[in-house]
Amino acid sequence: MTSISSGDPFDAPATHLSFFESDLCVKCNICTAACPVAAATDLFPGPKAVGPQAARFRQPDHPALDPGIGWCSGCGVCSRVCPHQVPVAEMNIVAKAETRVSPREALRDWVISRPEEVARWGRPLRPLLRWLFESAMLRRVAEAWLGLARAAPLPEVAPLPLRALRADLVRTEPPGAGPDSHGCVAYFHGCSTNDYEPWVGKVAIRLLESLGLRVELPPQRCCGLPLQSNRDFAGARRRAGDNLASLHRWAERGIPIVGTSTSCTLALKHEYRAILGLTGPAADAVAENTYDLFEALELVAPPLEHWNLSPLPLRVLYHPPCQLLAHRIGTPALRFLHAIPALEVTVSESECCGVAGTYGLKSERYQVARQVGEQLFAQARQAEADLVLTDSETCRWWIERHTGIPARHPIEILAASLGVDSDRPLPRSARKR
Amino acid sequence: MSDSVIVVGAGLAGLTAALLARSRGLEVRIIAEGRGSLSLSHGCVDVWRDGPLSGAAGDLSPHHPLRRAGSAGMQAALDEFLTLIHAAGLPYHAATASPLRLPTATGSIHQTTAAPFSLANGSLDETGPIHIGRIPEIRDFSAGLVASGLRSRGVANVAVVDLPLPPAAAGRDASPQRIASRLDRPSVREALCRDWAPRLRGVRRLGLPALLGLAQPAAVLADLEARLGISLFEIPTLPPSLPGLRLEQSLRRLCTARGIQIVEGPSVRGEVDGRSAGRRASGVVAATAGGPRRFLADSIVLATGGALNGGWLGFASGEVQDSVFGLPLDAPADREQWVTIDPFEPQAFARFGLRVDSRQRPIDPRGRVYFENLFAAGGILAGADRTREGSRQGIDLASAYLAARGIAG
Repeated sequence: MTSISSGDPFDAPATHLSFFESDLCVKCNICTAACPVAAATDLFPGPKAVGPQAARFRQPDHPALDPGIGWCSGCGVCSRVCPHQVPVAEMNIVAKAETRVSPREALRDWVISRPEEVARWGRPLRPLLRWLFESAMLRRVAEAWLGLARAAPLPEVAPLPLRALRADLVRTEPPGAGPDSHGCVAYFHGCSTNDYEPWVGKVAIRLLESLGLRVELPPQRCCGLPLQSNRDFAGARRRAGDNLASLHRWAERGIPIVGTSTSCTLALKHEYRAILGLTGPAADAVAENTYDLFEALELVAPPLEHWNLSPLPLRVLYHPPCQLLAHRIGTPALRFLHAIPALEVTVSESECCGVAGTYGLKSERYQVARQVGEQLFAQARQAEADLVLTDSETCRWWIERHTGIPARHPIEILAASLGVDSDRPLPRSARKR
Repeated sequence: MSDSVIVVGAGLAGLTAALLARSRGLEVRIIAEGRGSLSLSHGCVDVWRDGPLSGAAGDLSPHHPLRRAGSAGMQAALDEFLTLIHAAGLPYHAATASPLRLPTATGSIHQTTAAPFSLANGSLDETGPIHIGRIPEIRDFSAGLVASGLRSRGVANVAVVDLPLPPAAAGRDASPQRIASRLDRPSVREALCRDWAPRLRGVRRLGLPALLGLAQPAAVLADLEARLGISLFEIPTLPPSLPGLRLEQSLRRLCTARGIQIVEGPSVRGEVDGRSAGRRASGVVAATAGGPRRFLADSIVLATGGALNGGWLGFASGEVQDSVFGLPLDAPADREQWVTIDPFEPQAFARFGLRVDSRQRPIDPRGRVYFENLFAAGGILAGADRTREGSRQGIDLASAYLAARGIAG
């Protein structure tokens, strides 16, 4: 289903990852030791074996693929831990895009890699979709016919997208240079916050506004990461091209582009350039001006001791998603969480929750994805957490499904402590203690 | 935002320096270009191969990192490390009077100062017969090589016992790390003991490649010893080496639990504080996924490692510089003198590094500190050939301890 007409300018081979990069690898196995998928299943030979090692045998017209590479979830841990800066995950994602899949899997992947389109078409049919997603029988049918794991969580389309709820902030042009740009922040909501969790975007915007910042919503669409993960690089490049064409105009004014979805902001910072090969001044300007929300708060917000944070007597487990750690900025949310009085914070000891975007939705990967997350689920239960906090939406849906513990974005709890209004207050059960 | 301390590097020196600074009440952030290389290590603490440090410290050159610590400083550093690692749930056995003598995977004898209990149980100073387990599924460990090597080095009473793994433990790919993870599960241990018990009649002490559990090694060891009714010990294997991996994971978990932030992935460049007339470092600039980001701190610790770890760079011009601040290292300008052709001869580059003052601050050839608030620990220090001396972890711990004390003032 990834058929692209020949001559499509976006359908270029990924030549920017040279074979020589595999020669940086000294085979120390640090990536294999850290890989959460290799720890969960013997079916995956590990990032070193399918990446720098196998890359030596790959030629442009002879991908020479070990089917084991299909087990790579793309979590990116291998690249982050590599002491020699070998782009292991990037190599594997590019190589994986050459794998052949069955027509059934191709159809499924076509659907799950288009969350924006699913929301657009599905919004008028919301009640029907909800019923479909919740019907055990239909989920069984979807698993049998489409290979969509029946126990994997699927999000619900919101009645109105964020861009409709905050139409007052939608802009087609960036503000003028100089004082107009000062104190301005461009919010990259991504399709997930826009269409599925607009309350996260609303509360993030209110919090930024409460700090005296002016938030704008530039033209934007899905970052394209789900397409990239499902082998459709051409489709991903088209979305990336649209986003770069819009966002670079804000970036060039020095206006920070801030996001709450860590995988989408990672796409802007890294995947467009390193995996999709979209290099150039626009891509660089966008990448360098894109910030995770908490990363931006560390830069623009007043020192924490000036914040008026009210106590939240809750026990939370904070799980930094693999996609946030791939930003290579650490865990900026933690400092804010530690500053909230009476909040008991345990930090996740797991590299990845397992779902890795769309990986856990696939029936052939579901069990392994779940196994990857087991340690995290056990830690959350053992900590008797009232809430799991994690920055990526797919992680929230996945962890909530497997632990039964409500999962929220860390900005929601910071907002609650600051007294910033939210459409979706913290769960009542969690407030009892 | 600014931290009290930024530690650059996440090996033994970096993790220890961070934890010791934290235990002195400081806010600490670790920034590391990739994960440290502890998973390549045997997991023991080598202080001085040839015997107790107290006998050797006085003879070392004045710039040797262990000379600066002295045997009292080394002992204090080791004590703090043992407290930390105990808190992390991975207790170590320390033998300061005379070194522990432990078997290696090639059948040689490794002299070391401290080791996790699972390794220390293999002390060759204990008498009585030893068996080495031959596990055919494991590709990179030869029980016969261990046994014949030990015999040739005068260890009497070493035999080999065949111990095939049950399917529940072997899985599809029998790497030590995968087996260790499986043995964390009681059901797999039960299956293992069922298969092995009849093969272990007459065996009192059994040596195995290091694979006895990853998450809860102390509990796994105790459980297997109780079920089998014998004494067990481990021998470190090729990387990923479980004893090193456990040490790394334990220290990292402890860092996280104690509120130390770890920024993993970016390479960094040091920054000078422009308002200090070049006297102070302001922090580092990190090459994050998006672009350069500034991290500020009151003090910075270089724990970037030695020649093999990226701590310094040698240029065609003959200059050798530390990889973060570009400080010149003590090295001959003629590159011909950096290496000796015979790989088993001492190598000049092994001693390249930064010279430091009594607070572990890098100093120039005239003894002046480069920056008032810059400290160094571990392999980046000049004056030691850590591999030949068997002093690698001793230097890491002693210098991390001195740096943490130097920062706390």
